[in-house]
Amino acid sequence: MNAIEIRNLSKSFRGMYAVDHLNMTVPVGAIYGFIGENGSGKSTTEKLICGHLVPDEGQITLFGKDYTDPGVRVRVGALIENAGCFPNSSVYQNLKMQTINLGLKDADEQIARVLGIVRMEEHAKLKFKNCSLGMKQRIGIAMALLGEPALLILDEPINGLDTDGMRMMREILVDITKNYGCTVLISSHILGELEKIATHYGIIRQGKMIMELSAEEMDSRAQVFVSLKTEDMQSAKAVLQKNYRDVREEEGYLRVYDVDDTAAIVSLLMEHGQPVSEIKKNKIGLEEYYVELMSKKEEL
Amino acid sequence: MTNPLQFESPSFKKRIKGMLGVDFYRLFHTPMFYIFLFIAAIIPAMISAMTMMPSPDGGASTPLYSNLWQIIAASKSLYVIKTIADYANMNMVFIFGGIMVSVFIGHDYKSGYVKQLFTTHAKKQDYMISKSLVCAFAMACMCITYLIGGIVGGLFAGYDTSVNVLSLVVAVLGKMILSLGWASLYTFLNVIFRRYFGISIASSFFFGTGILIIGVAAIVEKLPIPTAILNIFLYGASVNANLSSGISALIVCIAVSLAWAFFYNFLGTKILSKSDVY
Repeated sequence: MNAIEIRNLSKSFRGMYAVDHLNMTVPVGAIYGFIGENGSGKSTTEKLICGHLVPDEGQITLFGKDYTDPGVRVRVGALIENAGCFPNSSVYQNLKMQTINLGLKDADEQIARVLGIVRMEEHAKLKFKNCSLGMKQRIGIAMALLGEPALLILDEPINGLDTDGMRMMREILVDITKNYGCTVLISSHILGELEKIATHYGIIRQGKMIMELSAEEMDSRAQVFVSLKTEDMQSAKAVLQKNYRDVREEEGYLRVYDVDDTAAIVSLLMEHGQPVSEIKKNKIGLEEYYVELMSKKEEL
Repeated sequence: MTNPLQFESPSFKKRIKGMLGVDFYRLFHTPMFYIFLFIAAIIPAMISAMTMMPSPDGGASTPLYSNLWQIIAASKSLYVIKTIADYANMNMVFIFGGIMVSVFIGHDYKSGYVKQLFTTHAKKQDYMISKSLVCAFAMACMCITYLIGGIVGGLFAGYDTSVNVLSLVVAVLGKMILSLGWASLYTFLNVIFRRYFGISIASSFFFGTGILIIGVAAIVEKLPIPTAILNIFLYGASVNANLSSGISALIVCIAVSLAWAFFYNFLGTKILSKSDVY
C-alpha cells in the first residue's frame, strides 16, 4: 500500500492545465521530495490532495482509500503556503483550536508535545502575529503534527529559515518519520536541504510528472567526477583529454567525469610535468542533476 | 502512539462536535463577538433616547414609539415601512448579525485557517452546519442584549410598558429562532463570495435590511394576494413575529427558520463540494 497514489490527475484554471494528467506514488514512510520550478504545479497538486481544490479528472487515494474519506483525511497534516493561524490569537490558542477541531482529548499534553518537537515551548503565549517567519513555519509544522498524522504535506516549509532553522526542520522531519511512522510529502526550492532527508523524489514540470525515483536510484544515477587545479590548466586539460573521455573546465576547476581514482590522475599529470595543487572526489548533487534534467527536457 | 495505518472514520456527531468546538472557541475568544453584543444593546437604547420624531407635515413632533415594547417588535405585521419606528426594532439584529458572520467567516479565509479545517474535514457540510449554528447562537445572544438595551432605553425614555406578554414572548423567541435561518443565509452568501470580503459584507447587509421583501411587499399590497404569503421568507416571518402575534407566529418562525436553514446549508454544501474551497 502506498501513502499517496495519484492517477491521471488534472486541474486547469481558465483552460490552462496547472496539473496535467499527473501520476504519483508516495510509499508509506517515505520523505518524498517534490521538485519543480515555480508554477510547475507542486502547490496545486498538494492542494488537490488536501481537498482544497476539486480536480477536473483523475483519482487520488491516500493509504488505499479515496482522498475524500473522512477517516483518512483526519490523519492528514498540512502546511501549505502559510501556517493558517489567526494572527491575533496566541500560539497556544491556535494550537488549542486545532486540538478541538481534531477532537483530541489530551489537548494540553498534545500541544506541549508538538511545541517540544518544533522547539517552541517558550513561545506558547506569544501572539502569532508577533512571531518571526521561522517561528511561524515551525508553528505551522506543529499544527500539522497535532493528532499524530499519518501523512504530512509540507509546501516549502524551509522557506525563509536561517541555517539553524533549516537544520532544526531537517531534524524534525527525520524524527517524525522515524519515531512517528509518518509519511512526508515536501516541496522545496532548496534542493541541497531536500537531498539530505528525502528518501524519494518526484520531479514535476508544467503540471506533468517527468520522473519519480528513490534516493538510491538517484545516487546510482548521480555522476561521479574528480575536480582539480594545476598551475597550467590548459596543458593539464590537454593531457587529461588524451586519457579520459569527459574532461571539462568548470567553475575554475578541471573536472574529469565518471572517474574517482585521484591517484591515477595525479601520477598521470606528474608524468607530464603538471603538479596538482588541489584535487578532490565529487558527486553530482540533486541540484545539478535537476538542472541538467531540466535543460535536457528543454532541448527536447 | 496511534497506528499510522489505521483509519477510523469519525462519526457525523464527532466531526460536528470538533468543528463546533473550534467555532465556539473562536467566538468566545474574539473581541468582535462582544463588540457586536454591545452594539446590539446600545442601538435600541440610542433609538429610545430619540424619543421624538418630526411630523412629516412640519407640525408638532410626535413620539417615536407609543410603547416601550415597540422597540423590540412592531405592534402588528408591517411589511411596508412608512416611518423609522416601523423599521427600527429587533429585526435590526439581523443586519448586525450579517456583518458579524461576514467578518467571522472572512477571518477563516484571511488567516488561512480554513485550509486546516478543509484538510481534516472532508465533508463540506461540517463547515456549513457549524458556521450556521455558531452564528445563529451569536445572533440569538445579540437579540438578548438588544432586548436588555431596549428595555433600559425605553424605561429611561418613560414609555408605556403595557404589553401582551404572550405576544412579546412569541416575538422575541420567534426572532431568536429565526437567527438560524438568517445565519444560514449569511453563511451561504459568504461561501459564495468567499474570495471577495467586501462583497460578502455588502450582500449580507443588503439581505439583512429586508429591503427585497419590503419592495415585494409594496407590490403585493396592491395585488389581491394576502401579504401573509411573505411570511415564508425570513424577513416576512421576522415581521410577523410582533406584539399582536399568537403561538401560530412562533410555529411559522420555527418552520421558516428550519426550512431556509436546511435549504441554504444544502446549497452551500453543494457549492463547496463542487468548487475550489479558496
